[in-house]
This record gives sequence, C-alpha cells and structure tokens, in this order.
Amino acid sequence: MNAASAIALGVVLVVAFALFSRRAVLLYRLIRLGKPAKRFDDLPGRVRAEAVVVIGQSKLLQRWLPGLMHAAIFWGFMVLLPTILIAMIGIVDEHATLPWLGEQGWYALMVDVFAFLVLVGVITAFVIRKIQRPPRFVGSHLGEADVILLWIAGIVITLFLWHASRIALGLNEYPAAWAPISGLLARMLGGALTPTVERAAVWAHVLLILSFLVYLPYSKHLHIFLAAVNVFFGRTKSRGRLEPVDFEAPADEVRFGSATVADMSWKQMVDTLSCTECGRCQDVCPAYNTGKELSPKLLIMALRDQVLADGPRALASKAAKLSPLVPDAITDNVVWDCVTCGACVRECPVGIEHIDHIVDLRRNLVMVESRFPEEAGSMLRDIDRASNPWGRAQGDRAQWAHGLDVRVLEPGETPPDVLFWVGCAPSFDERAKKSAISTAKLLKEAGVDFAILGPREACTGDPARRMGDEYTFQKQAKQNVATLNEAKVTKIITTCPHCFNTIGSEYADFGGRYEVVHHTEFLAALIREGRLKTLAGERKITYHDSCYLARHNDVIDEPRELVAASGQAVEMPRNRQRTFCCGAGGARMFMEEKRGRPINEERVREAAGTGADTLAVACPFCTVMLDDGVRETGAKLQVIDLATLLSEAVERRKSQNPGQPKG
Amino acid sequence: MEQGEASKEMLTLARKFGADTHAVSMEAVQPYAPDAVAALLALVAQDLNASAVLAAGTDRGNDVMARLAARTGLPFAANCVAAEPGEAVSLTRLRWGDSLWEMARLHSARPIITVPPHTFPIEAGPPPAEVDLKPFLAQLDAKDHLVRVSEHMAAAGGGISLTEAKVVVSGGRGVGSKEGFAIIEELAALLGGAVGCSRVVTSAGWRPHTDQVGQTGTKIAPDLYIACGISGATQHMAGCRNAKRILAINSDAEAPIMLNADYAVIGDLKEIVPAISAEIRNRRAS
Repeated sequence: MNAASAIALGVVLVVAFALFSRRAVLLYRLIRLGKPAKRFDDLPGRVRAEAVVVIGQSKLLQRWLPGLMHAAIFWGFMVLLPTILIAMIGIVDEHATLPWLGEQGWYALMVDVFAFLVLVGVITAFVIRKIQRPPRFVGSHLGEADVILLWIAGIVITLFLWHASRIALGLNEYPAAWAPISGLLARMLGGALTPTVERAAVWAHVLLILSFLVYLPYSKHLHIFLAAVNVFFGRTKSRGRLEPVDFEAPADEVRFGSATVADMSWKQMVDTLSCTECGRCQDVCPAYNTGKELSPKLLIMALRDQVLADGPRALASKAAKLSPLVPDAITDNVVWDCVTCGACVRECPVGIEHIDHIVDLRRNLVMVESRFPEEAGSMLRDIDRASNPWGRAQGDRAQWAHGLDVRVLEPGETPPDVLFWVGCAPSFDERAKKSAISTAKLLKEAGVDFAILGPREACTGDPARRMGDEYTFQKQAKQNVATLNEAKVTKIITTCPHCFNTIGSEYADFGGRYEVVHHTEFLAALIREGRLKTLAGERKITYHDSCYLARHNDVIDEPRELVAASGQAVEMPRNRQRTFCCGAGGARMFMEEKRGRPINEERVREAAGTGADTLAVACPFCTVMLDDGVRETGAKLQVIDLATLLSEAVERRKSQNPGQPKG
Repeated sequence: MEQGEASKEMLTLARKFGADTHAVSMEAVQPYAPDAVAALLALVAQDLNASAVLAAGTDRGNDVMARLAARTGLPFAANCVAAEPGEAVSLTRLRWGDSLWEMARLHSARPIITVPPHTFPIEAGPPPAEVDLKPFLAQLDAKDHLVRVSEHMAAAGGGISLTEAKVVVSGGRGVGSKEGFAIIEELAALLGGAVGCSRVVTSAGWRPHTDQVGQTGTKIAPDLYIACGISGATQHMAGCRNAKRILAINSDAEAPIMLNADYAVIGDLKEIVPAISAEIRNRRAS
C-alpha cells in the first residue's frame, strides 16, 4: 500500500471525472432539450437490436475487413474493461489485484488475446485509412481519427508492458503460462529498471485511459457511449413509417418539422451526437453516388455542429435567436436530393435515422416557408384537388380494368375477400397499367374473390408526405381510412410498394388497421398453394428490389419466387436490402433531377451488366424510372413487372398442357 | 399602388384600419425600380406616421414590400385575406397553395401587409372621391435605382408564350437532336404557335426547361397540340391533357400517346412534319 500513489490517483480521478462530467452534463441537457419522441415501446425488440447490432456488430460485419477490425477493438475493450480497475488497484498496491478475477488464468489469457486483437484492429484501421483510403471517408475528420487510434494503441501497449513487467518481477497473481504474449515480452525485461518500467507502465496506462475518457465527450468519438443508446431507441418495427405531425395539439406545440435545433426531437439529438463519420451511409447513398450535393454523413455532421453551436444558447435562454438549419447548416439542394430510400439508415452501425431529419427539414420548408422545388407544386395541388398526382379525372380510375370483368366495390356492398388497392400510377400511367392488368388476370385465374374501389380510391398521400406536406398527406389518409373502414375491408393487396408501406405501416396512426400484402407476396402464395401453375421460360431476368418493399418492409424472397417461376434468375451486385434506388422515392418522381447523373440510368447500367435481357420490377415508380433509363442508355433490356412475367409463365404452362383443366 | 391607382380590394381592406388611407403609385418611379419604390414608401410612411402599409400581393407588390421590410426592419405578412387592427394586428393569411388559412397576430406599430390578387370580388366601396392624390417629392439615392427594368424583351421562341398559344407543336425523343427541332419550329411558326417539348428533350439539353410541357414543366391548354415523337408518358400528358385536340405523330403505333390522341399519324416525323409545312405553304400560296 502506497499512500502517495493512492492520493495521486485520487486527485487524477477527481479531475478526470470533473472534466468528463462538465461536458457530459451539457450533452445530456442538449439531448433533453429535444422534443418528445415515442421510443419506449417494444422492449424485447430494443433488447434484440442491442444484442444484434451492438454486441453482435451485425451492421459493421456487413463489410468483412472493417467489420472484423471494429469487432476486434470493440470486443477487446469489453473483455479489457475490468483491467482498468485492476490497474488502479495495482497503482495503489503493486501486490494487490481484483479479488478472484485478477487471479484467474483464463482471464489472463483472454486479456492477452483480446489486447493483441485490439492492436491488430488498430493496425488494420490504419491500413484501411492510410493505404486503402475508401471514398466513404471523404469529408470526415481524418486527423482526429488517427489521434484516437494512436490513443487506443497506447492504452493496449502500456497494458502489455505492465503485464510483462509484472511477470518479469514475479508479481503476477495468475500462472504466467496463461499469458503467452505478456510472457514473451517479459523475457526481454528483467534488468534493474524493471520496477521503474512497471510503475511507469501502469501509470501511463491509467492516465491514457482517463484522458481518453475526458477527451471522448469533446470528440467525434462519442459513439463509444451513445451508439448503444441510439441503437436501443431506434425504430424496431415499421421502419418505413414516419412520425405523424399532431395538428390537433395546442397551437404552440405543433411541430412543423425542424426550423432550428430547438425543433429537433431528443432521438434526433442523440443521432447527431452518435455519428462517428465512418461514411457507410455516404457509400450507399444514391444521391451522393450520382454526384449530387447530399451526403447523409455530411448532413448529420452539419446538424451535429449546429446542435453544439446553437444548443447551448437555446439552453441558456428560450428567447435565444437560433440560426435556421436551412440554409445555415444545410443547403436546400441537400434537403431535396434525398430519395428516402433508407440505404443510409440501414447501413448505419450506430442507429442514425437520416430520413427523419430530411423529412423534418422538408416539413419546415414546405409547411412554414413554402419553399420547395417549384415543379413539385402541381403534384401537391393535384393530390389535394384531384386525388391523384397527375390531376387526372377520378372517374377514369377504373378505365384500365375495362373488359376485364373486375368488380368495382360500391358503397354498402359486401366486402370481397381481398381488396385490390390499385394505386395512382397503375391506374393512370400507360406503362404501369400493365402490372394492374396482369395482377387482375392472375387473381381471376386463381379464383380469388377481389374487388377494386374505382373512383373511391384516392392517392395514399405518400409523395406529399415524403415531400414534407404532412397536411395534404393526413387529409388523404383520413379520407382513405374512412372509405376502407366504411367498406369493411380487412385484407388489401397493392402492386405499389409506396401504397403498401403507407397503408400497411402508416394508416394505423389514423385508425386504419388492415392486413396489407404486396402483390408479389400474394402471387407467390398462390403458386405455393398450387392455385397458379407456371412454367419458367427462357428469359434471363434480373430483379430490381424496390426500396419501399425490400429495405423498408423486408419483402425479399417472394419476388424472387416469382422470378424463379418465370425465367432464369441473375442477381445484380446491389440486391435485396442493399438495393440501389431507381430515383423516384421521396417524391423525387415529381421533381426534376437537375444535379449530378441520373440515378435511374446508373441502376439500368448495373442491370445491363448482369447480361440479363429482362429487368423485373415490382413497383410502378420503378417501372417508369427504369424504363426511361433503358431508353436513355439504349440498354438491351425490357422492363417488366413481376405480375406480367408471371402471367406469361401461366400462359406458357397452359399452352404446354392445353388439355389440363386449370388447377 | 399597382398600375397607378390603388385597387379597390386593397382600399377596402385598408379602410378597416379606420385611419387615413394613403396610396402610393408605383408609376412615380420610372423605369420601375423596386428599391426606389421601397425607399419612397419608407419615407412616405414615416412622414405620415402610417399605422400600416398595404399593397397588392402581386409579384411586384410582394417584391417591393419585402424590400421595404428589409429596409425598415418592419414585419411583413404576405397574402393576407383579413386584417383586424388592434394592439397586435390579427391576420388571416393564405398559406400553402391557398389550401390553409393561417391565423396570426403581428406585433408592430406599422405592419406591412399584402393582399393576394384575384381573391376578393371587387365591391363598390365608398366613393373614390375620398382618395386624395398628393404629390410627394423626395430625393432618392442613386443606388436605389441599381435594380431597375432596363429593357423589355420578348420570350425566346417567336414571342408567343407556351401557355397562351392556340397551337403548340411539341417534340420528344423522336426528334433526335437539337438541330432536329428546326422542322418543329418551322411548323409552329407557320401555324402561329409555340414550340414545346417533353422532359427527355430538356434533360438532353436540346431545349430550355421553359419549353417543357408536363407535370414538372408547363401545363397548357391550346386548341391544338401536335405531339411529334413523344411517347406520352403520364408525366407529359399531365401537362397537355387540357388541349382541345391532340394530333400525335409517332412511328410507334403502340405508344401511350395514341390512347389520348384525337388524330394520329403513324410514321417518321422527319418526313411528315416537313410535308405538313410544305402543304400549308402550298395552300397559302394558291
């Protein structure tokens, strides 16, 4: 027991915790400044997310090298946590250790192995950052990251040095054979200086850890504390759902999106503070990858800088004049470049939900400032006045079904087993109509009892909502929910993933609860049940996953069952939940793509690269965007909806076995 | 203050303030220079100790009032349909494409308010004799005339605007190139119409965005719409569906535009369009 060391350690601890707390308290108050967000439901889902994403490092391990690198450091630190206490005990009394654990051989082995893995991880990180230099780091604070990595290396090296010198001095409580790496190092020590090395190493180790602790809350490396918090409070269900604006709330509580940092929710505050600038979001962003202004990483970094700049002023006084997020921190272009595809959200290892930020910025621009790309105005007006984004006559909504003998459900009639929610594009767009026609024919073929709403169907409001025009969206939602509830509809099929997401994930907020299935799911079930008999043809088909189907709603396998039933499947490099947007999401369908390269052409080139002759789609917006892309690039591809391909396969089967009655 | 005389709806609203109403004519500043008008207004309002400044919410009205607000630091509420004077002025203003009404209170000794045009039927107010015309002479700074109308130019493309033309001849991908539009321009000129185009053409840079007909371009309602080499995507049809007659010229008989066209010619537009022009010339010559 060394009293001087104990006092010195005590002083250092007090100073470190005081410095740490000063900043931590400010950050906590900034988070508490945030507006309410409902993130306390579904505890099992949150625990699961914590286990998979944080402990299991699932998102990081999607990229094997950086994933393993990070996992080595993360798991290493988990294992090494008790050594902090052991080292502090060692400072006070070199003959003492943590009872039980400090004496265990197996723990000494784990410490040895994991400390080594951390070191390997740090070296790998340097190799990635200095030699590989992936573009995802463009715009990140690279110097700061280097300092942090060196810090971590220092912590581990001093730990090794301390352990080695203790073994050399015979101070180890565990059998030396259990610590092979430290044991190897110990053989190099043993001179008269060894006791000094031991003292220096343990002090250096503890001081490095404490200074790291103090530095963290002032750095971009806050994720060490906040990632687990942010993942815990992330969306566990209905990832495609947006939080509704409560227009009925008292006037000064209605939040028309985010004008300044004071309007952000506490979850959004945690989002910005959690960012480690790893750039995985930027790497997968369709807008960034086609040369547009938006980088989801730079967006979150800019918001964070604004939170740290304006937040303390907001805390100091409610009347403080805060700078507008747009354009002071983020340009208008960045806000409008987003296709809300969710690639960034899915990729983010620390649970940042970029789309919520974008939509809140849009809500403020649209509903408060009336500032948005001019060309989208007619879409909003047409949805409001004509119930569809192209201003077509509602009376023409069922025209596509002419001659198909499709029942139009009239008020008061008995509801069908399933309601076919057609959607605006398949009702009015000549190219998208084909999927509605094929779906109707297949449903008839399988003997499904279905009907459509015809002129009573109105736009779900999805493009308006993703544009930030929550007001128009809620008007559409309430009207549609009233129609569906009045018609006593229980099960709905849609061909449009946007309708699918909106009715299935968002209408519940407005009293609409139905079983909503995408036509690909429904048709795949009909094949499995033997109600549709198919024969695959010669077509070489590559399937383009729609963001709102695959990424936001996990519909991945059923469309592939339809591909397999129709032809020969070949996958694009970016597939399933890591699909690449067609460029139409987030109301971009109704805006001009003035910046960068066209997203749809980028995707068509990827599809053409597979050697497929058919580009299968399951979304009317994708149909239009990718068909335009094919014309523009001159790619030798036919863009066809899965329902139409399946319809071909059913006809093919029939012509092969003309004698067989339909099953 | 628009067109030299205060509009009646503006005066009707202004009189609700009870105080004397003063109107300033924009004609006073020639050529039109918004900063100069704003400077003049600031002086007049100060001179009269005006309790409010009102203007028609036209492009020019809002432009000048925004400059006045910036110059004086006074609050500006645009597009108001009602205003009640009081400790704070209670306003009702149109928001969001006229689909929302915002009720707001404006705390200011001298609010700036504009009234959206074409919102009120013109009612017979008190006899206009009450409007007193007083010349107000003030020396303005030269820099207030920096932003001014220097020249009036007809829009490129023959002077007939897309929205007003009775005939619009439009080209799409099928035209093939920027130069290919020569035959489209020729036909439009012969028919006294305007040239339009589809989104593809704008994206390719063959025509300016101002020529684009469609959902994200201009919405038109001509008597005759001649669509040459345009497939008729929904986005395009949204811009021309109010045309009285649509003539489609397209090599693809299956193109969606055929479903919306009143007349169709199936064939190469590069032969058909010049042939129509030649025929028009022939008939006019004879």
